[in-house]
Amino acid sequence: MMKKFDLELAVGLFIIAGIVCLGYLSIKLGKMEIVGERGYEIYGVFSNVGGLKVGSSIEIAGVNVGRVKRITLENYQANVVLNLPKGLKIQEDAIVSVKTKGLIGEKYIDITPGASEKVVQPGSRIRETQPAVDLEELISKFIFGKI
Amino acid sequence: MIRTHLIHTIFSLFLIVAITGSVLAAEPMEAIKQTTDKLLSIVTNPALKPPSKATEKEKLIRQAVDERFDWEEMARRTLATHWAKRTPEERKEFVPLFADLLERTYLKKVEGYSGEKVLYEGETKDGDYAAVKVKIVTKKNQDIPVEYRLKREGNNWMIYDVSISGVSLVNNYRTQFNSIISQSSYENLVKRLREKVELK
Repeated sequence: MMKKFDLELAVGLFIIAGIVCLGYLSIKLGKMEIVGERGYEIYGVFSNVGGLKVGSSIEIAGVNVGRVKRITLENYQANVVLNLPKGLKIQEDAIVSVKTKGLIGEKYIDITPGASEKVVQPGSRIRETQPAVDLEELISKFIFGKI
Repeated sequence: MIRTHLIHTIFSLFLIVAITGSVLAAEPMEAIKQTTDKLLSIVTNPALKPPSKATEKEKLIRQAVDERFDWEEMARRTLATHWAKRTPEERKEFVPLFADLLERTYLKKVEGYSGEKVLYEGETKDGDYAAVKVKIVTKKNQDIPVEYRLKREGNNWMIYDVSISGVSLVNNYRTQFNSIISQSSYENLVKRLREKVELK
């Protein structure tokens, strides 16, 4: 009688431990999205975002710095809200473009920092945007020449 | 193939028959049209066709372009985060060098105009900034979207960026300059630009 109870107890504890671990894992992973609440938002207007999705990555110098928070259509243009970490300053003449991972992969946002001392304030618009294109870098060098 | 269109493109920019006015343009689109018209008249002028007139022609083209392109603003934007570190002398040296680079890269293309059509699609203003959308139609009937970005300077509008098919000129050079400066040095960038410019 005791033995069966021990066994059931063990199984029960094991299952509870499993659920607790699962819960812990979920919360840990979930926290990554909650980071969004701590940053600040700016937005840009694009003529074409080529299938960019909410949650798409934002990169500067190839490093992921934030996520796309919201994409809405306004006046037949894409209004994209970017969520960026508090300390990261975006210059007024920074250029925000929609790029593709590996030429045919998923779309992401790339920001090249500018020269201006003025900074885009939270809630404000980034003026310089470039829409999604195919094979950007290649075309760019083709059009304008490589130095 | 792409190269040909794009070549004709850039310079097709400067092709539209309009009324020649003064350099000062009250509206952005007017500004683009004026400069375009000026360049068109230079490039199609039979008096400037002989090879003996080549240098004069180049000078006139450069003058017309200088009136509309804000070289300092463009140079500043392309150096981006590296601009702040430059001394006033370095900046004074860089701006004309950058202008020369663009002249060297695109002059032949401007001179090679051969009848492309330019369609004005619209202009949007946002305070002291504006964008003019233009469509170039090549002889093979291909549409190339071009967008000028302008900034108001006093009573005038000056270009600080050109996008062709959604690719920004400033962004193109910004990425390359940043790459060169990061991997070697600003001095090396200047050296490379000089080499490119002097390669006549």
